Amino acid sequence: MPNRRALLGALAAGLILAQAPMAATAQDKLPVVASFSILGDFVKEVGGDRVALTTLVGANGDAHVYSPTPADAKAMAGAKLVVVNGLKFEGWITRLIKSSGTKATVATATTGITPLRNEADDHDHGKKDKHGHNHAGQDDPHAWQSVANARIYVANIRDALVKADPAGQASYEANATRYLAQLDAVEAEIRAAVARIPADRRKAITSHDAFGYFVKAYGVEFVSPQGVSTEAEASARDVGRIIRQIKAEKIPAVFLENVTNPRLVERIAKESGAKVGGRIFSDALSDADGPAGTYIAMMKHNISQIEKALAAGPA
Amino acid sequence: MLYDLFIGPFAEFDFMRRALVGVVALSVSGGAIGVFLMLRRMSLTGDAMAHAILPGAAIGYLVAGFSLPAMTLGGLAAGFAVALAAGAVARVTVIKEDASLAAFYLISLALGVTIVSLRGSAVDLFHVLFGNVLALDDDVLILLSGVATVSLMTLAALYRPLVMECVDPGFLRSVSRSGGLVHLTFLGLVVLNLVAGFHALGTLLAVGLMMLPAAAARFWTADITRLILLASGFGMVSGYAGLVMSYSAGSNLPAGPAIILAAGALYLGSLLLGTQGGLARRLLPRRHLRA
Amino acid sequence: MVAAPLSAIRLTDLTLGYDRHPAVHHLSGEIATGSLTAIVGPNGAGKSTLLKGIAGALSPLDGDIAVARGRRLAYLPQQAELDRSFPIHVYDLVAMGLWNRAGIFGRIGGGAAAKIEAAIAAVGLAGFERRPIGALSGGQMQRALFARLLLQDADIILLDEPFTAIDARTTADLLALVQRWHGESRTVVAVLHDIETVRRAFPQTLLLARETVAWGETGEVLTVANLLKARRMVEAFDSHAAPCERDAA
Repeated sequence: MPNRRALLGALAAGLILAQAPMAATAQDKLPVVASFSILGDFVKEVGGDRVALTTLVGANGDAHVYSPTPADAKAMAGAKLVVVNGLKFEGWITRLIKSSGTKATVATATTGITPLRNEADDHDHGKKDKHGHNHAGQDDPHAWQSVANARIYVANIRDALVKADPAGQASYEANATRYLAQLDAVEAEIRAAVARIPADRRKAITSHDAFGYFVKAYGVEFVSPQGVSTEAEASARDVGRIIRQIKAEKIPAVFLENVTNPRLVERIAKESGAKVGGRIFSDALSDADGPAGTYIAMMKHNISQIEKALAAGPA
Repeated sequence: MLYDLFIGPFAEFDFMRRALVGVVALSVSGGAIGVFLMLRRMSLTGDAMAHAILPGAAIGYLVAGFSLPAMTLGGLAAGFAVALAAGAVARVTVIKEDASLAAFYLISLALGVTIVSLRGSAVDLFHVLFGNVLALDDDVLILLSGVATVSLMTLAALYRPLVMECVDPGFLRSVSRSGGLVHLTFLGLVVLNLVAGFHALGTLLAVGLMMLPAAAARFWTADITRLILLASGFGMVSGYAGLVMSYSAGSNLPAGPAIILAAGALYLGSLLLGTQGGLARRLLPRRHLRA
Repeated sequence: MVAAPLSAIRLTDLTLGYDRHPAVHHLSGEIATGSLTAIVGPNGAGKSTLLKGIAGALSPLDGDIAVARGRRLAYLPQQAELDRSFPIHVYDLVAMGLWNRAGIFGRIGGGAAAKIEAAIAAVGLAGFERRPIGALSGGQMQRALFARLLLQDADIILLDEPFTAIDARTTADLLALVQRWHGESRTVVAVLHDIETVRRAFPQTLLLARETVAWGETGEVLTVANLLKARRMVEAFDSHAAPCERDAA
């Protein structure tokens, strides 16, 4: 009977249509790939629940020398948005993007940032106010070390998310505003902490030349015996110079990082009499249950370690 | 002026003195081991071993985190396993030494990479595992000296059968059953020196200081005792020269590669001018002796 | 002092070979202590294989090889696995002969140097002590290896084609050495190709063509009939051979 058939047809159509919203919500999360843990953290803060995030270089990972896996390529292929640092931080990302065949938009988090150039090697690290803007060398990619830059990162990420998923604009903007306020608070903390350190003790040694932006923004001097990338090796001359400098300027402390070999730094500390400070984080976040599981936690942890090591009496 | 260049840096800086001691210690035992490796056509063992130790170090890292002793011991265990397995297979089956070692180190390397990846984080184990000649603390120096001493004593004891095993293994087999044991002990010494070298000085320096001086020495003598002494001497000279170069103004050579470049220069010089089969001798032959 | 056992080497239904194919088949017999025996036969007859088996370098597929207890054995293979490019001198190579008596790690007694030099002189290589082994001719190398054998002072000496591709003068000198060993009541077994040398210098002969063709006094063994019989042997392995059904006679 035509009525029954029509009824069945309507029921079937109804069932199918009923599925659609459920299916739609399951697919509603925006697939985003972030190149490393710090960017991942930003995306999580701004994107919230609307985003399905994959981070390539995870906690404690070294993005300078990372080798992508097939799983990464798969995530890349399925992504709608890829967030990278830029400034040549991820030397391997262009090839991965190309080989994965992804049609995602690539957002560079450092757009709009004034980059610092790395100093040529025979530049005198000692002077406090002579930073960046030198001839030779490349841009220093660790722009997130200055919270002001982090604000630009967040803004860029927010804009990229809005473009990729206009429906979520309100949510993204709200999240970003909230997070930016938190960043302001952290920055205030950092400045206050630095102010508490006696001016002549605001310098330290690290094994990795990754704190250029921190130095410029907050006035704590970091000196390192190696180049920017973890692949560079130290020369005896550099090491000798640093030891002499530490002794001459009475630099109080040496910091180890979570991605590089600590031995050289320890040796320098031992020979020069500087104190070995706690572990500070430069290129990656720690595990979620570590001291630097998010960007804000990382900056807070770093400054507290720095203050602790530098404020104490001479070693 | 000469003082400033050649003695000054070592007088002024503790790390320079330590670097020199470390390099000398490695040259002492590395010289002999390098000579035997070269004569047995096992010169590429060093590089293979650098990769073979990865699963051991990875397991050490899984168990104890970034603990250097744990990773080094793990690496040692993996190195021994690979060397002994490769050596045993080569003796007992049709596969020869080089293929056997290649097979095992590749398996080992793949295992190591897999273990590291399973852990999740992309930690560059290699970078942390290998040391730096400018960062030698007391423990590492004691390790190097200990390894050098043990190696020398073992080599002295094993000298005759080792030479026999290289020259005429058939003869050794016919007069003694210790051939296999001698061979495996030698491999064990190789692994020990290599892993200690990696831990202290990094792969480039450890392997380079073992093989380059031995190869250079070959151009000056055909007597095995003199070969060993000369190889050790070349190693020490290269170490010293490399450190001086890395320190002097105008260069900015990283220390490890500078030492190897010095050893390389010594090798090329020997290749050209060596009295035993160097190129110069070939191109400018001297009058032959009276019959 | 215990009397020397009558047989230095006894073979019982011996089968030796590679990968189940027998090179030597159901061999039985004895080599008497102090005898001087030549092993001859056509190519592929299994002569080197037999010597390898006696020297212990090859395990029997079937049957048994018994070497008299306590007898020191020295073996000179056909092409030594010698690395000629290794940087040692004639002196060091010959000195190896003493090492197995001192044990690998034992001390070689005083007078060792004199013994080594005497051995080098005995093979006609006086003055060659410091020569690197890579610089020796074929004949000189063989002399050096014989000097090493001399120092080994073995009771049983196995030589695999010791005079092949060696000049006549060296052959003569080394043959004299072999006869000296025979005179010292050592047991010598040598694989040889030159029938004339065998007739001249070796009292016992084993004519081998995978199985024993004839074994005994040289004159009785090396007859035309026997030699013909040996030559009619198949040289190549039969890759489709069925398992052997013959048991020990």
